[in-house]
Amino acid sequence: MAAVRGFKIEPKQLRIYGLIGSVVGIYLAYLLNAITGTTIFSFVGALAAILGAVMGANAVRRVCAYGIGTGVPSIGMLSLGMGVVAVLFGLSIAEQMGIGVLGVIIALVYSMIFGYVVGLIANRVMGFNIPVMEEGLTDLSGAGTLAILGWSFAISGSLGYADIVNSVINTGFLAIIFICGGLAILHPFNANLGPDEKQDRTLVNAVMVGGMSTIATGICALMTLGLAAGMVQIVVGFAVWYYFFVWYYRLAARDASAVVGTGLLPPTVQ
Amino acid sequence: MDAFGMGLVAAMGALATVAGASEDIDSDIGSQSNPNSQVQLAAQVGNPHRIYNKAIAGEPPSNALWCTTAAIMAYVLIEGYGMPLLFAAAAGASLAALFDGVMSVSAYLGRNASQARFNQWIYLDILRYTTPSIMAHVWITSFCIVLISIMQVYILTPHHPFPIPVIALVWGLTVGAIGSSVGDIHYGGEREFQWRLFGQGLNTMLSGQIVRKAEAGLRNSIDNAWFCAKFGGPCTGMGFGLTVFLDNWRTTVFDPITQATYAILMGVFFVIVMNLYNFYCELSARRKYGPYPGYKGDIAA
Repeated sequence: MAAVRGFKIEPKQLRIYGLIGSVVGIYLAYLLNAITGTTIFSFVGALAAILGAVMGANAVRRVCAYGIGTGVPSIGMLSLGMGVVAVLFGLSIAEQMGIGVLGVIIALVYSMIFGYVVGLIANRVMGFNIPVMEEGLTDLSGAGTLAILGWSFAISGSLGYADIVNSVINTGFLAIIFICGGLAILHPFNANLGPDEKQDRTLVNAVMVGGMSTIATGICALMTLGLAAGMVQIVVGFAVWYYFFVWYYRLAARDASAVVGTGLLPPTVQ
Repeated sequence: MDAFGMGLVAAMGALATVAGASEDIDSDIGSQSNPNSQVQLAAQVGNPHRIYNKAIAGEPPSNALWCTTAAIMAYVLIEGYGMPLLFAAAAGASLAALFDGVMSVSAYLGRNASQARFNQWIYLDILRYTTPSIMAHVWITSFCIVLISIMQVYILTPHHPFPIPVIALVWGLTVGAIGSSVGDIHYGGEREFQWRLFGQGLNTMLSGQIVRKAEAGLRNSIDNAWFCAKFGGPCTGMGFGLTVFLDNWRTTVFDPITQATYAILMGVFFVIVMNLYNFYCELSARRKYGPYPGYKGDIAA
């Protein structure tokens, strides 16, 4: 088998890619929808959300590498919880001030401040003493916000507060964004937990779960946006999932001590 | 109270019982939540094994994911395309099972690859024959939960005001939490440490020293399903079924608006009775099996 492509990204670099890529992606989706007058390009919002989720997965990886084992699911849920609050705050403030489109930026800035404060409380008051806690929770809060914004856009096709409340919250589709987006952020590190965890394997897994979330939001979009927009999203999500699942399998095979069809227990190392 | 409403409550209780049982067996086949820490630790203390390692975010979030996935599919099919309720629930459960299969496979591959230095291999035959049984159990769980949500929203009067996906999310969290606290102890405490004496507890020395060999050959996760289906699964089913049934029963018998006090008092009564019964169970177990032979009296702190 040919050598598998691996990679290593610095957290700062990944943060820039995640934040800028995701915000640009959501606005690109908004513009494309506005210019063409359709909702067919809503899937770009879902792809933007995946970028945010990858950034979040890397933050989970950094914070939880300090030995938070059972806390991995909790920190993922915390991230999305902060995200929901920030998104609703940002969009409604922007709507009231008459600058609806800037809601994304307001939500993002608010969430990152919020995350930093939660990180401060976790470290100083609750005494976690994890050096990257503030930084990690700032990233996680931003990632949760972008994930919720991107996938909400993929379902509603609009950035208006009223539209998102109508088609995402009143229908209950926020539940799937919350839990599936949460899994895209927390599952990668949780699934790869162990001393030989590698960054590339974890992040590829994040994109893979992001693809699954896109399939799920595509199914929701079948109802809110119609057959065409929903189907495009399902197909794009499936393509992303398939490509990254195969890649993930190859990376796991690269890192494992052996991949065998069947067999008895391996000879013990000790 | 009408007979139809009471019948629905009984049906919901029955569905919840099935959902609880299949949820617990699904997590036992995959060694999720409680037993997972020991399965994860086993390779690290020099005991590589052939047991499935399905680590998907603990049971409550993962079951919430399956049930919500099934619920959005069912909701879209019912509201958007006017499909029959049962068909929509079945289609949703199938999608949830597929999601679960992908997540389980990725967790097994990832966790074992991350233990390369302890010589924990990835066995593809385990993936091939264990993943379908996990998916099958998830199908049953999410089908039952979605049917309960559909009943609450469309059939039971007064209709539940929340949309189906949110109700399914809450039920998924609940069934996961109950499975994690009731049934998994049976696997994590009993099956993984079969040779332990009663009352010994799990001291640090035993961490990771799980049973890896079966009656014949090496132990695998299907053996664990066989063991857990006898007690842990039904217990979880009973726990979840009773939770759903008793809770809905008291608000069906007593009108939640005009007779709210009676409904609340009934709930308090159930809690007291169950606490007394638990107390009796513990005393009875201690009387029959205790004390631990190595017990040398309480040591002053």
